[in-house]
Amino acid sequence: MERTTRTIAALALVLSCGVRVSYGEAADLPGGPPPPAAVAGSAARPLPPVPGNLPAWIRNTKTNHIFYRRGRYNFDTYNIGPLAKDLNAVAVGHAMAYEDLVTGKAAGLETRTFARIDRVLKTPPRFMPDEAAISPTFARKYGVLEQVFDWTHILHAQTVDVLASTQLTEAEKDREIERLWKYYFETVPYAVTPLPLNMAYLYSQPYSQAFRKQYPKVNGLFWGYHWLQGTMYDALYRVPLDWQKRVYEVVGERYHKTELYKTDRPFMPMFAEVSPRFASRFPHIANAFDNLHMLHDMVNDILATEWMTQHQRAEQIQRAIWLVSAEAHRDEKPGVSSADRAHDHRHFVGMPGMGMMQGMTPELMWMPEMGWMSMSDCHHCSMPLWEGPDAWRNPTISAGGWAMRVRCALCARDMSAETKGRALLQIPTEDPYRMLVVLSDEQGNLTGSMPGAVFVEMEGSHTGCDEWSRAFTSRAALDAYVKANPRLAGAKALGFDDWAKREGQKPDTYVQPRGSVENPYQPQDAPRK
Amino acid sequence: MSLRLTPLAASLVLLLLAVPATAVDHNNIDARRPLSFDDAASLAFREQALEFGMNLGWLRRRPLGLALDAEYLYGFQRNSHLSIGFEPSFGGRIGDRDTRPDFGDVSLGLFHNFNRQHGNTPAFALRADAVAPAGRNSRGAAFRLRGIATRQAGQFGRVHLNVDLQGNPSAARDEREFHPGLVLGYTRPLGYPTQFTTTGLAELSVRAGEKRGAGSVLGIGVGVRKQVAVRSVFDFGFQSDIAVGGGVQRNRIRLVVGYSYGF
Repeated sequence: MERTTRTIAALALVLSCGVRVSYGEAADLPGGPPPPAAVAGSAARPLPPVPGNLPAWIRNTKTNHIFYRRGRYNFDTYNIGPLAKDLNAVAVGHAMAYEDLVTGKAAGLETRTFARIDRVLKTPPRFMPDEAAISPTFARKYGVLEQVFDWTHILHAQTVDVLASTQLTEAEKDREIERLWKYYFETVPYAVTPLPLNMAYLYSQPYSQAFRKQYPKVNGLFWGYHWLQGTMYDALYRVPLDWQKRVYEVVGERYHKTELYKTDRPFMPMFAEVSPRFASRFPHIANAFDNLHMLHDMVNDILATEWMTQHQRAEQIQRAIWLVSAEAHRDEKPGVSSADRAHDHRHFVGMPGMGMMQGMTPELMWMPEMGWMSMSDCHHCSMPLWEGPDAWRNPTISAGGWAMRVRCALCARDMSAETKGRALLQIPTEDPYRMLVVLSDEQGNLTGSMPGAVFVEMEGSHTGCDEWSRAFTSRAALDAYVKANPRLAGAKALGFDDWAKREGQKPDTYVQPRGSVENPYQPQDAPRK
Repeated sequence: MSLRLTPLAASLVLLLLAVPATAVDHNNIDARRPLSFDDAASLAFREQALEFGMNLGWLRRRPLGLALDAEYLYGFQRNSHLSIGFEPSFGGRIGDRDTRPDFGDVSLGLFHNFNRQHGNTPAFALRADAVAPAGRNSRGAAFRLRGIATRQAGQFGRVHLNVDLQGNPSAARDEREFHPGLVLGYTRPLGYPTQFTTTGLAELSVRAGEKRGAGSVLGIGVGVRKQVAVRSVFDFGFQSDIAVGGGVQRNRIRLVVGYSYGF
């Protein structure tokens, strides 16, 4: 026994020395080396105080891994292989950038790190990687932030699993998405708030925009990921699997060729800008994802701000987590304004799934290349969109990286004809669960998902286009509708090919909304008279 | 005609049950998958896993031995999981002259992770197993206690220190009632930054021999865990006793192969 004990003691000593050496190497890491040389003119600024009454969970040191909500749809995102792989690569991209930011490699972020991430984006991994293994230093330093990210990413993954499932009906999918939200919201204290937040406020912190200014290419990648993570919802929602795959060919191409490499966005892509149908149906989820993405931006900026100490960074990250947390906004209501902009929960009229943005009002929203618009009106004819429980009746058109809701099938078709490049049209029928999906190629040729689809189109003033332009799953459904609407007596049933060739008049009701300035992200713009 | 469940049949049943299951993540290290150390991470809350493995051992001056093991794990609360394990074996095995098929002991374990690694503090965990003597020559209930510390080593590597104490109050007169052990494991992702499916493992271990008065055993091992599907991991490794004290049977080389599935 003595010999054994001596052997074990000797080995323990040797091993513990080895461990101490390892510990010693890692002990230099907390805080990490400073980021690259300060840019001229970047002086320290007063930082907002961290609230003194933060809950205990925000400093927890537990691991707290929680498994997916169990369901027959688990991991069905892999039914759409290219999407699943792209999402796997997104996880790698996030993790690599964060790890390099906190381990003294920030100087190479726009070159070496970008190239490394880009290689993974072009050859994405087959399986979802363990982000903590790719960014171990970041996870060790900011473990609670990692918990918030991971937990909301699980909601992302599971909602897409549901949408890609072939075993659930569309009604079951809606119910399961609500259950997933409940699971997300009630299981942990660090859920992100479902309320719309004032994005202009969150993006006007003393450190805001540091990341995008110093690392525009990598910031472009982050916003490209967020574009994909928003766009995929409307691309999949109410779309059968075979067409989900076809739609993702278009979305994926856009993502890889354009969206990942844009460096001129004035702001991160907002969920409702790219998936307005889903955001309208599940505004709480759209808001949570936007708030999560804003948390990403805030953290990026904090880590990229050279005039902050490590301690200040850790504190401001805690504050950022708190600002977007559900607990910070407990008992507050959507749509309600507040003198404290951190608690301003106004949203755009007609779109409860999107918080206020810089220089915008609830009535008017601005988008690059599209200008000012009302989110409650058709973007083709300016007439009011369907609202509330009927909001599913609004068709959408997605092209050029944006998605717009319109009021009728004609508006969708004609708007796609006015758009360059490939487009995706999603046109509701009489059945809320059966959506006609139409793809438009570069030449404007349309291909539909429903061979038996028929249309009524008795063109007149667009004040009534939601009545005289509609799609149906069958001739019988169209006949029943015409019979119930005597004003359409004699309307001809158009097959898909006939409908696709038509072109309507310029809408008699169209009005171009105008905001107070040309571009709210360019403060030098003079106010309009 | 009566149906008798032989050890071989029972093992095959376990194998079939185990095929669709085990730990989801190649980076989450459990003992015997494929080496002998654990990392300090527990299963996720509400996660279940089935882990199946077999190892072929070449004992000195003994017949070839085949040992199987199957384990079911369940994350019953945050940062904790329960496990139940079976270890049937065939042929030569350490500490027993018998070579007949043996159902082996059944273990019931509790694993608790106290904290994640933060700052310079390692992640700590404790694992306790109660072992029921279901084996052919088993004597009395036994227990195993394992303290685990996991820490980042370099940027992507991790070291795992496992401190063991096994006890068997009903041990035979020539066997130790308590024997300690120590394992130092190292893991590192392989293929980074272009591949994210593989983890390499290595270990150095020392444990007291089972017989009273016997020396200790110094062992080494290397292995790989590879994600082969969304929820499953394949593992294989080699272990060898590189130095043994007097009166200890040496396992010259042991090949370990396993498969894990999480659900």
